[in-house]
Amino acid sequence: MSLAEPATLSVATPAAPRLHILRHVTKRLKASLPAYLLLLPSLVSLALFTYGAMGRVLIDALYQRATPKAPLRFVGLDNIAAVLADAAFTGAVVNNLIYAVGTAAPSIALALLFALALARTHAVNSALRAALFLPVLIPMVAASALFLFIFLPNVGLLDYYIGRLLPVLPNWLGDPDIALYAIMIITIWKNAGYYMLFFLAGLQAVPEDVMEAAHLDGAGPYQRLRHIILPELKPTFLFVTVIAILNAVTQVDHVFVMTQGGPSNSTNLVLFYIYQQAVEHYDIGKASAATLLTLAALMGLTALSFRTMANREGGP
Amino acid sequence: MLFSRRLMLGLAMIGTMAGALAFPALAEGPTEVDLFFPVPVDGKLARDMGTLIKEFNETHADVKATAVYTGSYDDTLIKTRAAIKAGKPPAAVIMSANFLLDMQIENELTNLDSLIAADGTTKEKFLGQFFPALQGNAVINRSVYGVPFHNSTPLLYINADKAKEAGLDPNKPPQTWAELTDWAKKLTKREGDKVTQWGIAIPCAYDYCGWMMETLTMSNGGRYYNEEFGGEVYYDTPSMLGALTWWNDLIHKHKVHAPGATPGPAVSTSFVSGNAAMMMLSTGSLTYVRDNAKFAHKVAFIPRNVRNAVPIGGASLIMPAGLEADRQKAAWTLIKWMTSPEKNAWWSRATGYFAPNMAAYKTPDMVEFLGKNPDAKTAVEQLDVAKPWFATYKTVPVRKNLEDEVMLVLNGKKQPKEALAAAQKAADETLKPYNAETSLKLP
Repeated sequence: MSLAEPATLSVATPAAPRLHILRHVTKRLKASLPAYLLLLPSLVSLALFTYGAMGRVLIDALYQRATPKAPLRFVGLDNIAAVLADAAFTGAVVNNLIYAVGTAAPSIALALLFALALARTHAVNSALRAALFLPVLIPMVAASALFLFIFLPNVGLLDYYIGRLLPVLPNWLGDPDIALYAIMIITIWKNAGYYMLFFLAGLQAVPEDVMEAAHLDGAGPYQRLRHIILPELKPTFLFVTVIAILNAVTQVDHVFVMTQGGPSNSTNLVLFYIYQQAVEHYDIGKASAATLLTLAALMGLTALSFRTMANREGGP
Repeated sequence: MLFSRRLMLGLAMIGTMAGALAFPALAEGPTEVDLFFPVPVDGKLARDMGTLIKEFNETHADVKATAVYTGSYDDTLIKTRAAIKAGKPPAAVIMSANFLLDMQIENELTNLDSLIAADGTTKEKFLGQFFPALQGNAVINRSVYGVPFHNSTPLLYINADKAKEAGLDPNKPPQTWAELTDWAKKLTKREGDKVTQWGIAIPCAYDYCGWMMETLTMSNGGRYYNEEFGGEVYYDTPSMLGALTWWNDLIHKHKVHAPGATPGPAVSTSFVSGNAAMMMLSTGSLTYVRDNAKFAHKVAFIPRNVRNAVPIGGASLIMPAGLEADRQKAAWTLIKWMTSPEKNAWWSRATGYFAPNMAAYKTPDMVEFLGKNPDAKTAVEQLDVAKPWFATYKTVPVRKNLEDEVMLVLNGKKQPKEALAAAQKAADETLKPYNAETSLKLP
């Protein structure tokens, strides 16, 4: 493009600057046509299934019916205001924050522990890695159906073993104080093995010579972990944290299968709240408004993390 | 320019797709109808539905029916509404009986009156085939909107072996709340503070919890909701207060019922494993208990405090609004065939639901079946005292308004009185828009 520019300039006449711009644009388009053609299939499906749907949500969020038989009318930001004023929504946001922190931190810690323990590749470790990775392969819905029975009060596997130790058996999914934590256990069990993969990959990138030098200088295992391994794993941490938080918002299959947000809304998460508004309340306006708020929060989070990552790479 | 090209390509693609979809409809041959059906109890139902539809197609050359599995009752409602919105409604749907009113309010149902009249019969005659208890959920404003297909009522299940052990006669099951409380006390086993066997289990998860509250409230003389008008529920009433207080007492005073909210599958597993000696559960679980219990079981009516009364459950066949005339006619043929005595009886034996068509119980196969399984008879007998299932404007959220509060009570976090007052307030708020355009829209 920069090569072509002087040539165009010399041909252009001052009488027709607009023509010149047009020609310039056409030329640019021609040059990048193959690229657009290659992108076309994914652009079309993105437009149809992602951005089209998002545009629809944006429009739906602006309309509401006053009474069941009344026509839809434009209400501006009223739906968003109604969602923000809804105690069930704020409750779901708080639950989701507890759930996000309570699943991300332990599963990342476990994943790091597994990865450190199984970093060297040999037969036993490979088998153990496969064993720890197994929960990732089980679909969330199937896992939830299994855990439904593990958590059964009195007769479930958990109570069968723990029941001998505790004086009063907890009703794992039926007690509003415990249910959210029971749900969190499944997420941790399911995701730790997945995050372990990222840490295993991250550990491969820790420079061997630095480790050796540290070893020769007499650095103990803890010092090596604290001053070499963990700093080297920083980008992995950042990436896994973002993934874990996104998962905490987007993966709610087990809530559908096990508790439906109950008892008494104690396991209601944001995505399930949106489902309830759309399906149970049949309130598309409010559901769309809640979707917009969630999308905005997720996009903000993603942008922030990408910027941090870019800063790290560009920085000193 | 690029945009227009993309648009054109998109349009071309949509055009091809639409053409492909429209083609079979234009072709000569049988009218194609699709039936959305949920599987609310167990997986075998899907296979049974396949058998039923295959038989229909073999006997009806002019109609080609396809059964489309659509998940749970709730999922079926979502998918039906999505299909209606997309302008391609299914020809018929097996819909949870208490969703009909809400769909009718939203103008999503075909009024079946004209189809019944076209057959040369009257509404009364048509509805007269079905148990009277089921008509309340099928008729709205004196028009027929649904045809009952498979139904249930709650039952009291008793572990007969454990009852004998405790010196109780399983052939004389408890008939009142007082007797049931007494039985539950005798059937609860303790080791110190720890309970090793519960006297009774009553399910409480979303959906089941509201149904059980309606059951207990009805047995206590109450109504739960206004059967004639979708804008009112009776949560903050003496009859419901009595019902919830008794349930709360079973847990916190008599300590014969496990604390907290227990979902349906947990209750049936607990009963079958011998951990709970009695349970209140749907007739729909009868087949499961019959197949899995390793002990003698008995079923009985739900005991009364004031009167014997239970709500119905189950599903009706409906037609969404906006069907073309030929598909409507074909779907009506399918619906009438599925709810005929023979087919209804067959479906009842296959699934464990009872057959809504009264004549089904006079078919020879059914008479033989009931002879072998007397427990299936109790459910049918209880129909004499059964009443409609609660259905209001926004049935599910209004029900949830109550359930969330009941769950707090069962967990010992709230007292029945304040919980019901809170539930009433929340439900009134949910019902407000409907009342605004009906009962409170004044001249």
